[in-house]
Amino acid sequence: MTLFQTYIAPYLKKYKKAMLATILLGVLAVLSGAMLTFVSGYLISRASEMPETILLLYIPIVLVRTFGLSRAVSHYLERIAGHNAVLKILSEMRVKLYGMLEPQALLIRQRFQTGDLLGTLADDIEHLQDVYIRTIFPTAVGLCLFVYAITMLALFDWLFAIWMAFCLSIIVFVYPLFSLYTLKKHQRDAKKKRGQLYRTLTDAVFGISDWMISGRKDHFITGFMKDSRTSHRMENKLAYWNQSRGFQLQIISGVILVMVGIWAGNAAQHGEIIPAYIAAFTLVTLPILEGLIPLSHAIERIPAYGESLQRIKTIQQFVQDKGESKGNVQAFKKADISIDNISYRYEGEQADALHKLSLSIPYGQKLALLGKSGAGKSTLIQLLQGAIQPTSGGIFINDHSPIEYGDQIYDLVGVLNQKPYLFATTVENNIRLGNQQATIEEIENVMKQVKLDYYMDSLPNGLQTQMEETGQRFSGGERQRIALARILLKDTPIVILDEPTIGLDPVVESELIETILTSLQDKTVIWITHHLIGIEQMEQILFLDQGRIAMQGTHEQLMNTNQRYQQLYRLDRGLVDE
Amino acid sequence: MMDKHLFHYKGSKSVMALIGLLTLGQAVVIIFQALYLSKAITRMFQGAALSAVLPSFLIFLVAHILRHFLQWGKERVAYRFADRTALSLQQMLVQKVFDLGPRSIGKHGSGNLITLVLEGIPQFKTYLELFIPRFMAMGIIPFVLVLYIFTVDRLSGIILAIVLPILVVFLILLGYAAQKQMDAQMDTYKLLSRHFVDSLRGLVTLKYLGRSKSHQKAIEVVSDKYRIATNRTLRVAFLSTFALDFFTSISIAIIAVELGVRLIGGHIGLEVALAILILAPEYFSPIRELGNDYHATMDGKEAGQQIRGLLVEKTVDQKSLPSAPTWTENSRLIFRGIGKKSEEEWDILQTINFTVAGYQKIGIVGTSGAGKSTLIDLLSGFTQPSTGMISIDGVDFNHLSVPNWQDQLTYIPQHPTIFSGTIAENIRFYEPNATREEVERAANMAGLNELIQSFPNGYDEKIGQAGRILSGGEEQRIALARSLLQNRSILLFDEPTAHLDIETEHEIKETMLPMLENKLVFFATHRLHWMKNMDLIFVVEDGQIVEMGTHEQLLRKSGAYGKLMQAHRKGVRG
Repeated sequence: MTLFQTYIAPYLKKYKKAMLATILLGVLAVLSGAMLTFVSGYLISRASEMPETILLLYIPIVLVRTFGLSRAVSHYLERIAGHNAVLKILSEMRVKLYGMLEPQALLIRQRFQTGDLLGTLADDIEHLQDVYIRTIFPTAVGLCLFVYAITMLALFDWLFAIWMAFCLSIIVFVYPLFSLYTLKKHQRDAKKKRGQLYRTLTDAVFGISDWMISGRKDHFITGFMKDSRTSHRMENKLAYWNQSRGFQLQIISGVILVMVGIWAGNAAQHGEIIPAYIAAFTLVTLPILEGLIPLSHAIERIPAYGESLQRIKTIQQFVQDKGESKGNVQAFKKADISIDNISYRYEGEQADALHKLSLSIPYGQKLALLGKSGAGKSTLIQLLQGAIQPTSGGIFINDHSPIEYGDQIYDLVGVLNQKPYLFATTVENNIRLGNQQATIEEIENVMKQVKLDYYMDSLPNGLQTQMEETGQRFSGGERQRIALARILLKDTPIVILDEPTIGLDPVVESELIETILTSLQDKTVIWITHHLIGIEQMEQILFLDQGRIAMQGTHEQLMNTNQRYQQLYRLDRGLVDE
Repeated sequence: MMDKHLFHYKGSKSVMALIGLLTLGQAVVIIFQALYLSKAITRMFQGAALSAVLPSFLIFLVAHILRHFLQWGKERVAYRFADRTALSLQQMLVQKVFDLGPRSIGKHGSGNLITLVLEGIPQFKTYLELFIPRFMAMGIIPFVLVLYIFTVDRLSGIILAIVLPILVVFLILLGYAAQKQMDAQMDTYKLLSRHFVDSLRGLVTLKYLGRSKSHQKAIEVVSDKYRIATNRTLRVAFLSTFALDFFTSISIAIIAVELGVRLIGGHIGLEVALAILILAPEYFSPIRELGNDYHATMDGKEAGQQIRGLLVEKTVDQKSLPSAPTWTENSRLIFRGIGKKSEEEWDILQTINFTVAGYQKIGIVGTSGAGKSTLIDLLSGFTQPSTGMISIDGVDFNHLSVPNWQDQLTYIPQHPTIFSGTIAENIRFYEPNATREEVERAANMAGLNELIQSFPNGYDEKIGQAGRILSGGEEQRIALARSLLQNRSILLFDEPTAHLDIETEHEIKETMLPMLENKLVFFATHRLHWMKNMDLIFVVEDGQIVEMGTHEQLLRKSGAYGKLMQAHRKGVRG
C-alpha cells in the first residue's frame, strides 16, 4: 500500500481532472449502452399498447438513437483521454526515475550487478500504464456503475435496491477480493517459476558451446521441458480458475436478472411502476452486469504491479542516502593532480581497495596505470571523479578535492572507457554531446584529429549518419574514434583512458593508440591498460597490486632496474625464451 | 484472416470440429434464452400472475446457464489444445536452438531466441486459445441468429444481414488506415520509444560528458513528443472499436424503432419483437469480441510464424552420423580442400588443406577477420564447411558436428561460460558425477585454490548470473579446471587471453603450458608469445593458410609470420 501511496497516488491527485474525465466518460459509455437497452425495452412495450399516434413515442425514439450514438462516442473519447493522461504520467515518471539515477550514475553498476537493470527499469515504467488502463479505470467505472444502478433502483423501491446491492456486491466485492487474496501466492509462485526458466535458458543459450561438446544436451532439454511443464501447469491452474469464475459469475447474473424480472412484474401489478418498464428493467440488467463482471480481472492484476514498483523503490532507497554536493570551485583549463596518502575501503570489505597511495601527476603528464582486476584502478578513477571520497588521505586537483567541483569535475576530467555509449541518433549529435555550442568547423576539426574525416565523407549522409542502436553501424575501432572526437570537443585538461582498446586486434589497436596519444598531446592522460603496447611513450608507469604500488617509473627505468617488468615486457612482445 | 497453419497442428481439426459443435449448440441455446425471456416479460406485461411466468423464467435460466456452460467448455477445450500445442512447439524449438549451435544462435541473437522460447510460446498459446473459439463464434452464431430472425421477422433479418458485411468492410478499411499511419511514423516512433532506455543505458557516458543534468529536460521533451505521436496513432487505431460500437448501437436503435413502428400498426407481436431486440446485441457480440481481441492475438500469430521459420532451418541430424574414432597418439586428422562461405556467399575460408597427427600443438595466427575463429568453429563442429572433406584416421566426414568427436573436445573461448551455480558445479559441468576430491584436484591444477579459499562458502560459493562475478582470469581458470577434470584429449582455444591484463596472462600461461602436453591443441590468438610453445603454426590471411611451420622456420622465412612478429614487436612508433 505504501508503494501505491508513493508512486501512484500523487499522480492520481495531480491529474485529477483528466482521471475524473476518463472515469466519467467510461461511466457514460456503459450507461449509454444500458440506457439504450432500457429505452428500447420501454419503446417496444409502449408501442405494443398501440398508442393513438407515433408522436407519443417521439422522445423514446430520439433517446434510443442518442444513446446509441453516445455510447460509441463516449467509449472512444474515454480511451483517448485515458491513454493521454497515462502517457503524461509515464512521461513524468521517466523524468523522475532519471532524476533519481543521475546523481549516482557512476555507482549504480557497482551496486547492482544484475544484467540489464537499467533496461528493466525502463520496461517497469512502461508496465505501469496497466495500473491505470487495466486496473484503476475499470475499477472506478465499475464502482460508479454499481452506485448509480443501486441509486436509480432505490428511487423506485429502496427495499429491493438494498437487496440488489447485496446481490451485486458478490460480483463487485466478494469475487474480486477473493480472487486477489487466494491467487496472490499462486501468481507469485508462477512468476518465480517463470523467472527460473528464464535464468536456466539464458545460461544454456550463452553456454551452448559447452552443452554441445559436453554430450549432455538431451539431458538439458529433458530437464528444461520438465520445468517448463511444471510452469505451464501452474499457469493452467490460474487460467482454469479464470474460466470457472467467468462461468460462476454468469450463473449469478442469470439469477439476478430473473429476480429483477420478477420484481418488475410484481411492482407493475401493484402499480408501483408502469407495465412498460417491466421489459426496460429486466433487459437493462444484462448490460449493467456485463459492466461489473470485469472487476474481478482488474483487481486480480494488482500483485503483478508490485514487482515493478518494488524495483523502482529499491533504486530510490539506494539513491536517497547519498547527499549531493554542490560545486563551488571554478574549473580551469590546466590541472595538476596530487594524491597524498589516500586509502579507500568499500563498505563491508575486509581490506583496503587502495592503501596509503601517494602520487603526483603534473599537468600534461602521460601516466600508464596497470594492474590485475581488483588491484584498485577503478577505485582510483572514481576518487579522481569525486564519485567516492577517500577513507583517509587527500586527493587534489589544483589544490581542491574533486568533490568540491561538484558536476564541474567533468569539465576537468574526460573519460574514454571500454564501451563508450553511443546514442541512437546521428554521428554529429553524438559528437556534439561534448559541446553543444561547437561550430561545424570545430566538429570537422575533431573528426580530422581522430582520422575519421575521410571515412565520414565517404558515407552518403556524412555526419548525419544514424548510429543505430548502441552504435552497431560502426566497427569497434570506429566507435572508439567517434567517442574520442566527443572528448576532444569537450576539451578537458585531464583525460582518463579506461582500456579503450580492449577487444580490438593488434593492428587496429596500435593505430588507435597512436591517434589517441597524438590528439591528446597537451593534456594529462591517465591510461588504464592491460598490456604493454604503446607503453614506451608514457612518462610514468604505475603497476597497482592489491591497492598498493607494485612498480613505478618510466619505461627505461623499469627496463633497467625491474626484473619483473622486463619479463612482462618480453612476454608481451613475444620475446619469451623458455 | 484465417491462418492456414492452424490446421497442421496435431489434433487441431478435431478440436475445431468440437468447438464448432459447441458453438452451434450455443447459438441454439441463445435463441431459446431470448425466446423465453421475452415470453416471460410479455406475460408479465399482460398482467399474468407470477406463477404463470415462473416456468418461462426457469427455462430462460436453464438456457442461460447452459449457454455459459458451453462457453466454459469451449474455452476449456481451446485452452487445453493451445497448451498442448504450445508445449510441443516449445520442445521442438529448444531442440532446434541446440541443433543450430552457437554461430547460428549468434546470428539470430541469443536474446531473441530466449524471448521466443519463453515469451513467444505463451503469446502463441494465447493466440490459439482465443482465436479458434472467437473465429468459430464469428462464423456460426450470427449466421444461425440471423436465420432465425429472418424466419420470424423478415425486415429485421434483412437489416441485420446488411449491416454486418458493411461493418466488416469498414473494419478492414480502418485496420488498413491504422496500419498505414503506424508504418508512416514507425521510424520516428522507434526512435522516440527507445530514447528513454537509451538515455538510461548511456547515463554514465552522459555523466562523463557533464551533460547528465541537462539531459533531464531532453527526456521530458522527447517523452512528450512520444505521447503526442502515440496519441495520433491511437486516435486512428481506436476508430475500429468506435466503428464496432457505433454500428452495433445504431443497428439496435434502428431495429428498436422499426419494431416499435410496426407494433403500433399491429403488424408484429410484442413477444417476437422483444426476442428480436434481445437477439440483436447477441448477433453483433462475436464480431465485437473478435475485434477487441484481435490485437492481443496478433503478436501470438507473429510469434507462431517466427517459430515455424526457425523450425524449418536446416541443421545437422547427429543421430544418423558415423561415429568418430577416439583420438590417440597415433591419430591423424586431415582437412582436404575445406572452404566456408558466409550467408552472403563470400568466402570466409577457401581451400584449407592440412594434416595434423597425434598430440601436436598448433598455433593459429593472423589479423582479425582472417578466418582464425572460423577455423576453430569448423574443428569444434559449431559450424559446417561448405566444401571439402575431413578425415579422422581414415574415416571421412563432411563436417565435425559429430557427437563422438565433440565428446573429446574442450573449447575455451575468450569469455568461457560460467553457469549460475556453485564453483564445484561449474567445474563438474562435463562430468557431473565427479567426486569432491577429483574436483579439488582439478581446481588446484588450474590455480583456483587461493581464490576458492577466499570465498566464505569455498567450493559451494555461488557464481554466475545470480552469484559472485569473477574476473576474466578467474573465468579462464574455471574453464581450465573443467577440462582437466575429464582429461579430454583435444583442446581448442579461441583468443583465451586477449582481454587479460599482462600479469594475469603471464600467470595463466604458467598454469596452462603443462596442461597442453599430450594433447592435440589448436590455439588461435594474436598474442604471439604463445607461438614459441607450439609445434606447428598456421598463418591465416584472407581465408587461407599462407604459411605453415615452426616458429623458427617461419621466422627464418621472414614472410607473413615475420611481418606479424615485426608489427607486434615494434609496438607503436617504438
